Amino acid sequence: MFIVKYIKNVFSAIKSLLVGMRRTGYYFTHHKEIITQQYPDNRETLVLPERFKGEVVMPHNENNEHRCTGCTACELACPNGTIKVITKFDITPEGKKKKAIDKLVYHLELCTLCNLCVIACPSDAIVMAQTFEHSVFDRNKLTKVLNNPDSKIMDGVE
Amino acid sequence: MWSLSGITNWVDQWLNATFNPTLTLIIEMVIVGVCVISLFAVLGLVLVIMERKVSAWMQIRLGPNRVGPKGMLQSFADTLKLLVKEGFTPNGADKFLFNLAPYLAIIVAMLLMAPIAFAKDFHMWNLNIGVLYVSAVSSISVISILMAGWASNNKYSLMGAMRSGAQIVSYELSAGLAILTIVVLTGSLNLNDIIQSQANGWWIFKGHIPAIIAFVIFIIAVTAETNRAPFDLAEAESELTAGFHTEYSGMKFALFFLAEYVNVFIVCAIGATLFLGGWMPFHIGNWQSFNHVMDFIPSSIWFMGKTFFLIFLIMWFRWTFPRLRIDQLLNLEWKYLLPISMFNILLVTAVAILGWHF
Amino acid sequence: MTGSTFIFYMLAALTLVSGFLSVTSRQIFRAAIYLLFSLLGIAGLYFWMQYEFIAAVQIVVYVGGITVLIIFSIFLTQQAGELLAVQKAGRKLFAALASFCAFGITMLQVYQHSFINAADNNVMEASVTNIGTQMLSTTQGGYALPFELVSILLLAALIGCIVIAMRLKPVNQ
Repeated sequence: MFIVKYIKNVFSAIKSLLVGMRRTGYYFTHHKEIITQQYPDNRETLVLPERFKGEVVMPHNENNEHRCTGCTACELACPNGTIKVITKFDITPEGKKKKAIDKLVYHLELCTLCNLCVIACPSDAIVMAQTFEHSVFDRNKLTKVLNNPDSKIMDGVE
Repeated sequence: MWSLSGITNWVDQWLNATFNPTLTLIIEMVIVGVCVISLFAVLGLVLVIMERKVSAWMQIRLGPNRVGPKGMLQSFADTLKLLVKEGFTPNGADKFLFNLAPYLAIIVAMLLMAPIAFAKDFHMWNLNIGVLYVSAVSSISVISILMAGWASNNKYSLMGAMRSGAQIVSYELSAGLAILTIVVLTGSLNLNDIIQSQANGWWIFKGHIPAIIAFVIFIIAVTAETNRAPFDLAEAESELTAGFHTEYSGMKFALFFLAEYVNVFIVCAIGATLFLGGWMPFHIGNWQSFNHVMDFIPSSIWFMGKTFFLIFLIMWFRWTFPRLRIDQLLNLEWKYLLPISMFNILLVTAVAILGWHF
Repeated sequence: MTGSTFIFYMLAALTLVSGFLSVTSRQIFRAAIYLLFSLLGIAGLYFWMQYEFIAAVQIVVYVGGITVLIIFSIFLTQQAGELLAVQKAGRKLFAALASFCAFGITMLQVYQHSFINAADNNVMEASVTNIGTQMLSTTQGGYALPFELVSILLLAALIGCIVIAMRLKPVNQ
């Protein structure tokens, strides 16, 4: 019946409004729920979530070794040409030639932090770092070489 | 006991003893004018910081916390910025009306202050038609919005003004009917008589269901009349940039902003007067000692407390509910609020005639 | 001149000047706003005479109702922002003559009418209660019949509005 539906409408509307008001009222009285980070003040204690993606880095171990084989999978996976892999040929002790990276050039200014290169990497050589304070006065500083000078590939990584 | 009416009487007597009647009247008018303007300034500062803090806490934020202790001086900084900003009149605008509109808005807000009783025996004008005066004068405020919208020569302003006109004209009806509920129960339009009739209990408690329905409808309707969210279609940042005050800047914008907050204060003061007993203390039946403690709190504190409670309620609405669409807005008024309040008027008339209220 | 007279002349000047500007303005929106100020001046006169109820009703009906309606129709009209055409001199003369004649008739009536002196007669106090009682009284001098007639007129207007605005369902052939 029309009138019953009308009255039901009114009461369900009031109920749903009260549900919303209860939520905001809860937040109003419970200040411990506040999620604001007062960033420059809490720089020392700032904890970023694990999934935060700041920039691409290549971890090296204590012997200055990395895991990159120079397969260019990351370069191919990158949607906007952020990564450029420059390869060279090393001579192994057995006298064979072996492909290795000379430089892994990373253009932070082009990167959208989409994580596709990290997914594409077959040997887990690159990861996403949590740094985020990237602003510099010179754009050239954003073009980075990810592998350290004179670094080598780790043993056992093919 | 310390009271505001004592101070006003003392000032009046002293002035009468010192000057002749005409000069006394003029001096008193000047004093009242200065008081109203300073009240406006204080209200602007307090309500802006209150709104920002309330909105922040409801959205799990911290809100302003840099200027002054805990950010409490933020509104001073805002005011200073608005004061030194250039008041810009766009090309192609109707300059006279463009500059007149914010002043009209603030003058209407000032006129509305006149019949409000701020404390026991403390009001500017004991008007015998107080309630009618408030609803009549508040209908002028829509003109200032329409004027600003037209004179800005801007499509957003014009659309905002149109929406706000439709909204205010329709919600005035249910606000008026909600006010009429209390007038039926009291039998007087005078705000002081209405407060006196609540000496033994506020209308929201002793008016049964009709008073509660009227209170809910009143709060909804005045939220719409003051153009606040969820009824802020006139401004609607996401659709109309800023609606009727898109083109305003500097002090002229500040006047609109101030008028909005003062209007919120006024409608909440009227709501507190009609439904929550104005400056009447909270009494429970025959608990003599409890009632005595309540009487000890000054009446101005009671009035301000109730008013700010209602202001908080309206802010709570603003930061909880999403904005309505224009058709939903008009549906709400014409299909729900108006029929319900008309039915409510019949109900309250029956209650008043049969004497069912306490 | 006392303060009260001074206020009267200020209100009268506001009413007359804005009324004149409303007629002569070539921008239609400004004309509406001047009309608004003229009506507000009249409401001010009622307040000055301490007929607060009439003043409030004047504001509700004319300012809150009629002027808003006029402004809305201006908003919805095409080319409302253009200047109005200048009228011919003959028309202006005729309009001035017509308004002068109306003014003359009113003044004649005012001077010939014998007003009751409010000070020595028991004039009924214009409180809201009295107005309400009088409005619904059926005794001598009561206004129950005109009141009901006006309400029937308003009801007819309401029904007419609904009929005009109602969207009829398309008739299936």
